[in-house]
Amino acid sequence: MPVVGGHSFAVTVDELVVARARKGDAAALEALYRAFEGPVYTLARRLTGTRHDAEDVLQETFLELVRSVGRFRGDGSFAGWVRKVAASKALQRLRKQASRPTEAALSEELADGVEASLSGRSPIATAAERVDLRTAVEGLSPTARSVLWLHDVEGYSHEEIAAMVGKTPSFSKSQLARAHARLRAILAPTAGEGPCT
Amino acid sequence: MHLSLEQLLAVRDGEAAPGDIAHVATCAACAAEVARLRSLRAALAELPAEGPERDLWPATRARLAAQRGSRRLARAGWIAAAMAAMVTLVVGVRGGLEAWREARTVHEVRTLIGQSQRLERALQALEAPGRVVSGRAAGTIVEIEDHIASIDAQLAHRGGESAPTPDLVSLWQERVRLLAALVNVESTRVAYVGL
Repeated sequence: MPVVGGHSFAVTVDELVVARARKGDAAALEALYRAFEGPVYTLARRLTGTRHDAEDVLQETFLELVRSVGRFRGDGSFAGWVRKVAASKALQRLRKQASRPTEAALSEELADGVEASLSGRSPIATAAERVDLRTAVEGLSPTARSVLWLHDVEGYSHEEIAAMVGKTPSFSKSQLARAHARLRAILAPTAGEGPCT
Repeated sequence: MHLSLEQLLAVRDGEAAPGDIAHVATCAACAAEVARLRSLRAALAELPAEGPERDLWPATRARLAAQRGSRRLARAGWIAAAMAAMVTLVVGVRGGLEAWREARTVHEVRTLIGQSQRLERALQALEAPGRVVSGRAAGTIVEIEDHIASIDAQLAHRGGESAPTPDLVSLWQERVRLLAALVNVESTRVAYVGL
């Protein structure tokens, strides 16, 4: 369900609200929840790929914020801190998903299937059949999708992503390239291999 | 020889080697690809926001209340243990009228600790995992839990004292009163949902 406002974490939070939330003020806690509900859910949805997991990540993120708000040092933006917590929770959830191989395999198969059906071997796709960007992103493997979103939309560097997923920056770069290769194949099938592969 | 996708992305992100940047400046195909990658990044950022199908705040608030409840339970255990040690020590070292007064205070504190523990057990039975709590009930629970946390902080501070005093009795009375209120809210909720 689309929500009013964007998915951006460019949210300005009144310091007084944060101070009141630290003391457990119920109205302040709800104000913080409402301010970040959209950005956190959207980030979680993009990374985990399912509504159910995104809802869990939204709740877990907020519970973690309440647990840790007293330790927030205020030396960075509050929104940046919330985004980091949300990304961390979503990546944890992905690791749990990875222990369920059928889902990961299904995601890969879906991505391959979409690519195959649009690779030119099928009849030319009509406008109605064309896969939109959101569907294409959802068809990526969980890792490639996460790296794509964290890097291209949330603005994390490859070094930061590497630290978050416990891999190297090279891994992050190759996953980003892989994500873009798949997106190109899905979104512009008639372009063939493209000029620069 | 065109650049790889990884090299093109590095050019787009301003992290490319000078040779790759120079190549893109002279290769129309690679320049077009970098432009396409920039457009795609912008399109990703413009994807519509999403939100949960139902309002998750009441459920989140309920989990928050449950989280506070489990912390209260942990606090209650060690505070009661500290108090038990204090009142045992006092009975052993005092004498005369003073001892009689202190013994009465000790008795009151012990009685209140016992009541507090019984109420904690009753709450444990009522606070089932995955429970459903209305937003209003959750708000009341959070408020009461906050009051109890405040009382517990004062009790923890008093734990190091050598003897119980009448104001300690007041603190325990307040704790028991708040726990009873919590049991009342939880019991009403359970009756309401017909569990």
